[in-house]
Amino acid sequence: MSVILSIPVLSFITVLQSAVVSRLPLNRGTADLMLVVIVAITLQKSVKTAWQWSIVGGLLIDFFSGLPFGLFTTSYLITTGIAFHLRERIWRFSFLMQLLVVLSGTIIIHGLSMLVLFLQGSSFQFSTVLQVITLPSIILNFMLSLPVFLIIQDIVQQLNPPE
Amino acid sequence: MNIRFPKSIRILALSLVAIGILALALSGVFTSLSRLVVSPLTSLQTWVSQQYQGVEIFLSASQDIREIRQQNTELEAENARMQAQIVELQQQLVEYKILSALLEFARANPEHKYIGASVIGRDPSPFLNYIIINRGSDDGLRRGMPVVTQNGLAGRIIQVTASGARVSLITDPVTRINVRIEPSRSAAVLTGSITGDITLEQIPQAADVNPGNLILTSGLGGNYPANIIIGQVTSIKSRENDIFQSASVQSVTDFDDLNIVLVIINFDPIDISPLLPNAETP
Repeated sequence: MSVILSIPVLSFITVLQSAVVSRLPLNRGTADLMLVVIVAITLQKSVKTAWQWSIVGGLLIDFFSGLPFGLFTTSYLITTGIAFHLRERIWRFSFLMQLLVVLSGTIIIHGLSMLVLFLQGSSFQFSTVLQVITLPSIILNFMLSLPVFLIIQDIVQQLNPPE
Repeated sequence: MNIRFPKSIRILALSLVAIGILALALSGVFTSLSRLVVSPLTSLQTWVSQQYQGVEIFLSASQDIREIRQQNTELEAENARMQAQIVELQQQLVEYKILSALLEFARANPEHKYIGASVIGRDPSPFLNYIIINRGSDDGLRRGMPVVTQNGLAGRIIQVTASGARVSLITDPVTRINVRIEPSRSAAVLTGSITGDITLEQIPQAADVNPGNLILTSGLGGNYPANIIIGQVTSIKSRENDIFQSASVQSVTDFDDLNIVLVIINFDPIDISPLLPNAETP
């Protein structure tokens, strides 16, 4: 998958995330479409440019978000690393890997966000945030995972047909 | 032996025979014979006729079905167009109601100048309560301008681009707004939170605050104009040993359903940071 292709595709995902997905909360949690897409791309074995897609996606979300610049890029890179690690070791059950990596990614992003907000002086109860934001976000990310994974798998197979 | 009668006699004889047969037929002698012959023919004719009618109906019906299907397709297309029109009109009606309410708000607060803006997005992070609006510096917007809805205060602009702006809602965790509680006129500080709840802090212990009291901006600090309604007190937390009381607030603005907002463009926020005690002094 070309890196150049990542810019229009992930720009569209960013707009979709801000204009639609973020407006559909479950309790106070929202899905992270960019995370789900990046994980689905990384788990495709024929994709060699997952790191680049991860950086482009992270930068685009960082431009849109009010959180400190680089938080999403860092989180997506760590998540991509986890996905690569699992991809090299586990050859089957890709969709279960998708769920596992999305869960890890959500925890990483939310953990870093809470850390940054805590350092900025916001006070909050960890258990409340977990219950009101993080758990609903994980559920929404899981719900998005299956359709996104199947779509990405299909697109990657169309672009890189097996020899 | 061959006897040949004259032609006139033969005609006469045939006529008499014919008249005789007619007379016998009229008298009903041939009825049973006629039934015997005609009955199977009638049955046959009925069967042939039914088959013909069946074929005729089939041929004409196929033509009708084609026409009905065509009409059905046209009606379905028309129905889809009408449904789309209804949705569009309902959307316009909702927008009209919001705009009417915003206009009413602007008329009720004529001291300010406003620019209307549509909400086009939200922050991708669920931890921040920001919205993105479709007006920017090209429309005269600047950082710090307050944003209101028809019900009351929504937030303020914290970042501006040429064609858009990011608005920090009053529910955002970094929010600190100096407010006044009515009718006691007590001063307090309104803060947001990660979970979107807003609370009042630093309410003096002596202040008489009750559920249902109104919260308005006080104008202190220079970040917001005074007297913009924010919400109502829902519950109070007060302990004897604490210096201040705190209270939960129900905002008058529904932040989950923000579509159109007004930006107050004739308010210049005052930067008082150089006056704060921890500011560097020469």
